[in-house]
Formats: sequence, C-alpha cells, structure tokens
Amino acid sequence: MSSLGNLIRNENMKIYRRPRTWLMVGFLVLALGLMSGLMKWDESRSSGGDWKASLTQQNSHYQTQLAESKDMDSDYKEYLTKEIKINEYYLANDMNPHALSLWDYVNSSAALVMLITILTVIVAADMIAAEFTWGTIKLLLVGPASRSKIMLSKYISTMTFALLLLLLSFVLAFAAGAVLQGFDGLSLPHLNVGADGVVHESSMVVNSLQKYGYAVISLLMYVTLAFMISAAFRSSSMAIAFSLLFMLVGNTVTMLLSGYEWSKYLLFANIDLTQYLPGNSPLRPEMTLGFSITMLIAYYVVFQLIAWTLFTKRDVAG
Amino acid sequence: MKEAVLQLRNVTKTIGRRTIVSDLSFDIPAGEVFGFLGPNGAGKTTTIRMIVGLISMTKGEITVKGVSVRKQFEQAMTHIGAIVENPEMYKFLTGYQNLVHFARRHSGVTKQRIDEVVQLLGLQNRIHEKVKRYSLGMRQRLGVAQAILHKPSVLILDEPTNGLDPAGIRELRDYLRKLTQEEGLSVIVSSHLLSEMELMCDRVAIIQGGKLIDVRSLQEAKHSMQTKIIVESSDIESAHRLLSGAFNHQGVTLAGDRIEITADRSLIPDIARLLVKAGLDVYGIHASQQSLEDQFLEITGGEMVV
Repeated sequence: MSSLGNLIRNENMKIYRRPRTWLMVGFLVLALGLMSGLMKWDESRSSGGDWKASLTQQNSHYQTQLAESKDMDSDYKEYLTKEIKINEYYLANDMNPHALSLWDYVNSSAALVMLITILTVIVAADMIAAEFTWGTIKLLLVGPASRSKIMLSKYISTMTFALLLLLLSFVLAFAAGAVLQGFDGLSLPHLNVGADGVVHESSMVVNSLQKYGYAVISLLMYVTLAFMISAAFRSSSMAIAFSLLFMLVGNTVTMLLSGYEWSKYLLFANIDLTQYLPGNSPLRPEMTLGFSITMLIAYYVVFQLIAWTLFTKRDVAG
Repeated sequence: MKEAVLQLRNVTKTIGRRTIVSDLSFDIPAGEVFGFLGPNGAGKTTTIRMIVGLISMTKGEITVKGVSVRKQFEQAMTHIGAIVENPEMYKFLTGYQNLVHFARRHSGVTKQRIDEVVQLLGLQNRIHEKVKRYSLGMRQRLGVAQAILHKPSVLILDEPTNGLDPAGIRELRDYLRKLTQEEGLSVIVSSHLLSEMELMCDRVAIIQGGKLIDVRSLQEAKHSMQTKIIVESSDIESAHRLLSGAFNHQGVTLAGDRIEITADRSLIPDIARLLVKAGLDVYGIHASQQSLEDQFLEITGGEMVV
C-alpha cells in the first residue's frame, strides 16, 4: 500500500520537473524585482524636502477638513482623527514615515499574493485535469492507493507550492529591502490608534504577516475552487480557463449584484476579509466578520466535498 | 485445475438502462496467459477496468488472490500490474523518473529492482532520456516495466497491440513469454486481433454483447489435432468412393474438385497409401488446422467487427 508521503513526493516531482513551474517562479521573482526597483526609484525622485513641515501641513489640512464639513461620514471622521494622532506621534518621536524602510518592501509584496494566487490556481486547475489530458490517470489510479489518498496528496502538494511561493515572496522582499535600505528600519514599530484613543507601537513583522494572512485566506479559497474545477473537467485547458475566469470576473460581478440582498451569500462577497478592517466598509451593511467566516468555511467544505465526490466516485472510461 | 489468481463472480455493469457487462463469472488460473476476445464494444475493456477499479461494478465480486477489489482495493492492487490501453507516461519526465514515480507507490521496490526491470526489457541505453523522445514501442516496453516493478501476480494488458507495428507486436509477445517464464506471473490480455491471441494465449474467453460465450483452451485445440484434411486428386469421383468406403463415410465430403475429411492428423499416411495403391494420381494432401478465427466466427455467428 502506498504511503501518503511517497504519493506527495510523486506529486511534487510532477510539479517541479515541469519547466512551466520554474517559469512561474521566475515570473514572481521578476515581479518582486520590478516592484522593489520602482519603490526605490520613486523614493529617490520624491525625497528631499522637510518631512516635518509636510507632516505638519498635512495635519492642519486634516483639521480644517474636520472643522468645515459637518455632515461628514463618521467612519471617515474617525480615520482622520487617527491619522492626525499618528502624525503627531511621528513628529514627537522624530520618526520619518516617508523614509522607506525594509518593511515597506515586505508590506508592498503582500499585494503580490494576488499574483501567487493566480499562479497557484493554474497549478491547482492542472492537478487532476492534466492527468486526464495526458492519459496518465489510468496508470495513476491502478495502484495500491485509494483515490481519496491520491487526491489528498495532490491537494497537499498544491498547497505546499503556494506556501513556497509565499515564503519566496516574503524572503525576497525582505532581502530587497535590506539591500536597498539597509537594516536601519528593522526595529521600526507599526503605529496604530487603539480603542482607547492612544497611539500604540506594535511589531512590524506582525503587521506584515497580517497583510499576508488576509491575502492567504482568499488564496486558499480560490485554489480550492480551482481544485474542484480540476476534478470536474477532464481537460486541463478548460479547468485553467474556468478557474481564472471565476477568479477575475467573480469580484466584478459580485460588485454589480451588491444591490441585491442575496449577493452577500456569494463567495466573492466574503472572500476579502479586509473589508472589515477599520476605514473599510463591507459589501453590504448587514454583513459581519463572523458571517463572512462562516460563509467561507461553508464554501470550503462544499468545494472539498464536490471535488472528492467527483474524483472518487466517477468511472474512468474512454 | 490450478489455483485461481483472479475470480470474477456475477460481475455486472449497467449504465442507465444499458447493460454493458452482464453476469460475468470465470476463474483465471495461475501461470497462464489468458486472452479476452470479442468484437469491439463487447465489454472487454469495461471488464478489465472493473478488475483494476477504474470502473465501479454495479453487481458482483472480483477477487485477486482472494482479496476483494471492491472492499480492499489497496491490498488487491498490490497483486496487480496493468497497462490500460496505450501506456501514457509523463512525457516531461525521463523513463527512469517515470519508473521511480510508479515504484514509490509500492512498498519494497528497491533501486536494484528498477535496474533489473530496465535490463529485462532492454531499456538501459535510453532510460535517462525524456519519454517524449521515445517511440511507441519503447513506451510500450516502459509501460510493461512499470507494471511488473512490484512483482505482481497478475499482469493485465488491455489492447496492448493497438498502434504497434508488426515488429513491435512480435517484440511484445516475446517479452510476455519471457515474463511468464522468468517472473512466473499470470497475464490477462484483451484484444480483438485473433491471430495475435492465438500466438500469445494459453486460453481465451470469448465475450460478446457483455456476456461470456465460451472459455476454451488453445493448447487443447493444438493437441487434439482434429483437423480438416484436404485431398486433391485427378479422379475425384473414384477417390471419394474409395475414401468413403474406407472410413465409413465419417466426415468425408466432396467439395467441388477436392475431398474434405474431418479426422485426426494421423490418418494422413493411411489416406496417401490407399490412394496410391488404387492407382490414383494424388496432387496434394494437406491438413488445415481450424484456426481460432474460424472457431470464433462459428461461435459468435460471424458478427465480427475488426
């Protein structure tokens, strides 16, 4: 009987022996390099000038805004008040927020998780469907491994690939930041205003990981969706096309449908949890963080069940 | 009868209202090359795919060495090696990497065993090349290598000669012989090519319309030597009279300008002596063994789609 470990090694071999995979990794590295370069170039262009003066100016601008418009949205009002407090904290502690630190590179790289999601979706969509396209599914299934075990090994391999890309992105962004800005900013705190209305310092690493975390939740959902589609379609090009289509069009369509109450039950209405962060508002006012998490868990379970049923119960003929 | 390695009991497959395989029951004894014969669409491939678990059974039971394919799939599969239709391999991997891939699924396939199988199938020169550069014949060999890595008791080959040229078919046949002798395994082959089956198999099951029509031993057929003896002579009438008298009219018929006798081969010298003594000119006496094809057409009522 096959051990799960060996099956995972097989799936990994099939991922990493394909030139396409390394093309994807290269693409990610290129995107990271480009991002870092642009950030550095942008800094060198806009640097100079007195940052203290500009912060003071910004604060007085916010204050007039607060004083003049009385019918302002309460969320926005809160946001401005917090910004003012944070700016004052910078000035008081002589910290220049505009000077790039290596954490800025890491934080910006969190935006590239979207790219990682697309790359992993392509791999996931190919995972089962490609075996059918290649005709290797017959030899793969005729062995001392149950279909559930084979599917699990494929899912784990896909997720490991995503994890590797995430690590690569984090580490490379950190390295780029270190090379371009040095380690001076390493111990720089992240500032936020707590419920008590006082400015708190918190760790930058935690803040960066949080940014990654939100993006990883949507990555998990999109990749699981693609995996299900891969089990449903027996042609890899169809599976990839449909997965990417869902991913790229889903958000727009959900936005258009947000007028209807039932739209809150759609996957894409819940997939971005940053909508519950302060300063943002959810798709529909009645939605809560708990609701979205429940919906995401429900979708995840349904995707896995459908994928499992399709993969283990269907006959392999033709 | 030797111990059965593979047993099928009332195996049935229905899709919707259509019955593809109906109530199939037979045993495959150890150490034999067993053929599955039938016209296209007879249910050969469906049956084979049910044995290896690619298609689920609607009813019935299949056991490999007493282990149920349905209930203990993983354990049953340790005894089976299979190539279902053309052996499709991972083209972006080398032949060796493909073998490593399939070896990892089984416990106890060592590196030495992989090398041994590579030697056995004569793949050693090109085993580290990518499979996309292999010819169909080489892929077929790699497919066989993959199937025997874990020393299975049963090797299942579904339409193994599809797409192979005559040299490739011959090569495959030689490998199969070698394997049954050197590795002592039973082989199940399905095909619609009668002549091939005749050369490869010890025994064939004839399937038509999803039903088992007959299981017959080809070895017995060769040994019994009941053949059709054809006699050509100048004076066919007198020859016919003479032979009818001599053999009590048993199976002696006049067919145009020749006489056909259904009898044992050992009668041929007697026939020759008789005719020569009577002073008749003999142009030819030859035995034509009834081929599997004739038998097959007889059994299936001539509904042959090849």
